[in-house]
Amino acid sequence: MGKDKAKVTNTIRTLRFHAGEMTQAALAEKAGVTRQTIVAIEQGRYSPSLEVAFRIARAFGVPLEQVFQYTEE
Amino acid sequence: MSMKEISALAMVVGSVVISIWVAMDLNGGGAAPDVSGAAWDMIWAIGYVVVINIIIVIIATIIVSIAQREEVKDERSDERDKLINGRAMGAAYFVLSVSILGVLFWQAFGLAPNLVPYALFGVSMLAGVAFAITQLVLYRVN
Repeated sequence: MGKDKAKVTNTIRTLRFHAGEMTQAALAEKAGVTRQTIVAIEQGRYSPSLEVAFRIARAFGVPLEQVFQYTEE
Repeated sequence: MSMKEISALAMVVGSVVISIWVAMDLNGGGAAPDVSGAAWDMIWAIGYVVVINIIIVIIATIIVSIAQREEVKDERSDERDKLINGRAMGAAYFVLSVSILGVLFWQAFGLAPNLVPYALFGVSMLAGVAFAITQLVLYRVN
């Protein structure tokens, strides 16, 4: 356990599209982080804290699992 | 490129430029004859680093803003910035510790007292560059 490669993926790009092409800056403001952080999360380079993850989900009005997925390879 | 990356880049460039200038001055026989004189020289050098950093940040901000067609603004630090800062601090602390140990050994083996301020200046520049480079790398990969 713990030796398998696990990855947190997300659907932020799709959710932004469905939210009327919400800008990264607008999402950043709603989530209380910088636009660079949203870019890094969207590209899968950075996994946010649980608090920021919930704030992002709330910004889209969807449950957390719809934004972030945990996959074991 | 964000304001934080520009600041880190300015720190690297400023430190390297002033360090080369100090090294060339030393190489040309410009070392102060006593510890007090050398210390004052290095205090001035640190002042120059601060000034050159400010100038580089202003110029780089204008250039990047034009290139990105969007004004580069400093944003409030968030959790990712704090994480990156923490890791960069760790790298800088490691470099600082090893460098200070090196200076102590160098002194133990006969480093002239009037050169100690130069060595301390070099150590501080090394740690600063380690901090800034770690930030730049982590902002790209994290």
